[in-house]
Amino acid sequence: MLTLSHYLILAAILFAIGVVGIFLNRKNLIVLLMSIELMLLAVNTNFIAFSRFMNDVDGQVFVFFILVVAAAEAAIGLAVLVVLFRNLKTIHVDDLDRLNG
Amino acid sequence: MDFKSVVFYLFSAVLVFASLRVITARNPVRAVLYLVLAFVSGGGIWMLLEAEFLAITLVLVYVGAVMVLFLFVVMLLDINLDRLREGFWSYLPLGATVGALMALEMGVVIGGSYFDLFENRVPALVTDSNVKEIGRLIYTDYVYPFEVASVILLVGIVAAIALTGRQRRQTKAMDPAQQVLVKASDRVRLVSMPSEKLEDSVPQAGE
Amino acid sequence: MTLAEMPFILPDLRPASAELFVLAMACLILFVDLFVKDTRRTAVFALTQLTLVGAAVVTWAGTSGEVVYTFSNMYVHDFLADMLKQLLYLTDIIVLFYARAYVVDRPLLGRGEFYTLTLFATLGMMVMISANHFITIFLGVELLSLSLYAMVALNRDSATAAEAAMKYLVLGALASGLMLYGMSMIYGAVGSLEIGEVAERLQAGVANHSILVLGLVFLVAGLAFKLGVVPFHMWIPDVYHGAPTAVGLFIGTAPKLAAFAIVLRILANGLLTLSYDWQMMLLIMAVLSIVLGNVAAIAQHNFKRMLAYSAIAHMGFMLLGLAVGVVGGDARFTLNAYSSALFYVVIYVLSSAGAFGMILLMARAGFEAEDLDDYKGLNRRNPWFAAMLMMLMLSMAGIPFFVGFFAKFAVLQAVVASGQIWLAVVAVIFSLIGAFYYLRVVKLMYFDAPADPTPIQAPLEVKALISANGLAVALLGLFPDTLMWFCLLAIRLSLSVFA
Repeated sequence: MLTLSHYLILAAILFAIGVVGIFLNRKNLIVLLMSIELMLLAVNTNFIAFSRFMNDVDGQVFVFFILVVAAAEAAIGLAVLVVLFRNLKTIHVDDLDRLNG
Repeated sequence: MDFKSVVFYLFSAVLVFASLRVITARNPVRAVLYLVLAFVSGGGIWMLLEAEFLAITLVLVYVGAVMVLFLFVVMLLDINLDRLREGFWSYLPLGATVGALMALEMGVVIGGSYFDLFENRVPALVTDSNVKEIGRLIYTDYVYPFEVASVILLVGIVAAIALTGRQRRQTKAMDPAQQVLVKASDRVRLVSMPSEKLEDSVPQAGE
Repeated sequence: MTLAEMPFILPDLRPASAELFVLAMACLILFVDLFVKDTRRTAVFALTQLTLVGAAVVTWAGTSGEVVYTFSNMYVHDFLADMLKQLLYLTDIIVLFYARAYVVDRPLLGRGEFYTLTLFATLGMMVMISANHFITIFLGVELLSLSLYAMVALNRDSATAAEAAMKYLVLGALASGLMLYGMSMIYGAVGSLEIGEVAERLQAGVANHSILVLGLVFLVAGLAFKLGVVPFHMWIPDVYHGAPTAVGLFIGTAPKLAAFAIVLRILANGLLTLSYDWQMMLLIMAVLSIVLGNVAAIAQHNFKRMLAYSAIAHMGFMLLGLAVGVVGGDARFTLNAYSSALFYVVIYVLSSAGAFGMILLMARAGFEAEDLDDYKGLNRRNPWFAAMLMMLMLSMAGIPFFVGFFAKFAVLQAVVASGQIWLAVVAVIFSLIGAFYYLRVVKLMYFDAPADPTPIQAPLEVKALISANGLAVALLGLFPDTLMWFCLLAIRLSLSVFA
């Protein structure tokens, strides 16, 4: 039988993959943005699982808002990426070295 | 194992596999496609949790719009694929260890007996339609966050246009006001320097 | 249930009238901007300033000192919110005046979007300040952050700005992810997202402690990212350095007020029962920030980076005040501790605005006065500005009889009252080390020869404002009582512990 823990552990694994994706990825900014999406998917799964097992719809409403914000964030993130690419002709993480000191 | 558990494990396996491929795939286009797979399986898991509205939204809005936006950007930018993955494997052992440890630690806390709630003991979330229930809440109790969320989307539009919108062609028109305002001191600055001897500054012919 | 049966009572909109006003004006300005031909955007600038003044009037008219909830308890209106909002408008007005000449000189930055995004960010901060629910906190934070990411990258031709925006966005989104994971755990353990209800259920003691602590760790990590304290500080120097100075001025001032508000509301209003756990986390982060911020700032040659590390140290000092509120379950010192932290953050925002204002004042079209060497011999180029910057630096260093000294003194008093003498000693030692780099700026201005002896010119209103800013730091140092009294009042009237 499935328990709440099943869902939470699945979300924890996803969250860890997302965080590792951010720290492991030294190369590609797009994958960085996608790792963030994975983290948010994990958080959303958490909220939905809690909402289901506590019989409380508020968690699902929160997920709705997270989806809205994530969409706006993706739009702005990709816009900044395009600006960066126009200036540097690269989206290589290692090429972001102007700001060190 | 009942049918629901089988479905859960199947979707979870696909989900974890796809998300691992997202962060390890060599080609960003593949990474986006794996992310789509991850979202669709995530939608399946949400369906199991009786969140139909959100599961459908995830597939429609996320996969249908946001991921396509990602794909567009990946394809529009001329990315040097060879450089993208170099040096990846040297970070992998450390990253994998940290990730596994993190998931394990979270799992120890989460997996405790506190969350051993069985699904069949919890009454169904809503007897009515899920969409109706969420809609009722959003337009009554959550009307304030709903408005703020709409402002966030507006900021998204303004920002995306301001950052990437094509600039209007630079006009060559003169601004008379600016021209009149120009002062001699803005253009020429007189610097008093000690005079220098000519011989020092003129290079010798032989050099 | 049909639509007609839907129970809906229009919520009381009066407490939120300032937010509604700012939103309406922001949309109006967005629209007006389309029809403005003027490349200097004078009309847009004037309308934005009018909006902020109008918002101040609206907030003033609604100030009562009572705690009022509306929108199904998602929005709280209290004296703390009113005070922070007034300070927010004031900071915004100062920021826009300082930034005016800078953005006019840089056409890509000086578009109408600069002003509308500033207003949207302000709206986000107002939502944060008045939030009483995890959802509104999250949405306020995101409204602010998304506007700021875009503002940093607004100067599209600058590679450094784009790089700063990308780093800010990725780390900011990571912080939001951590914060959300924490919120989901607390929701799972407690069963509610509303701060007041969370506090009640925690008091009743039904929730599992280890789950709560797991959630708390993630939540505090997310908040620490937004505040910019060690070990979640790495974005601060890069963003301060890479962002256009006018945007850096904005990021370095007003958001600190809003971040303070949400930290106070989540931790002190919602999770006070867990104070033992989060005070420990805040304490560690505060000490690390004070140490790292002050030491790293010494090594900087860029004035903006130096201010960034100084910001980290100052936020650490502010956290000290929040970390000593409850001693062994005893809330006797809470009022003093939290109001000292509030006093500290207000003073920090004031001095930081002045210091960034000076950078903007020195900058011209195509030239940034970023390097510390650009401040050499400022006294000979303009003695009055040099004196103002000296006062700001001395205040930030915590030299006695400038207001920064009293801010540090109030926090240290709270720390000593909690019995952690060693903590106060560490904070004092590293503040003394930190005084070195502020004094270095003073030395450069007064004892070194200028590289470029041209006198500095500035528009009249900027001259007046920067003088007022510098003099305020000195005058508040002589009479800190009024502001301190307001801080005490705001904390006492607004936190649920004192209700």
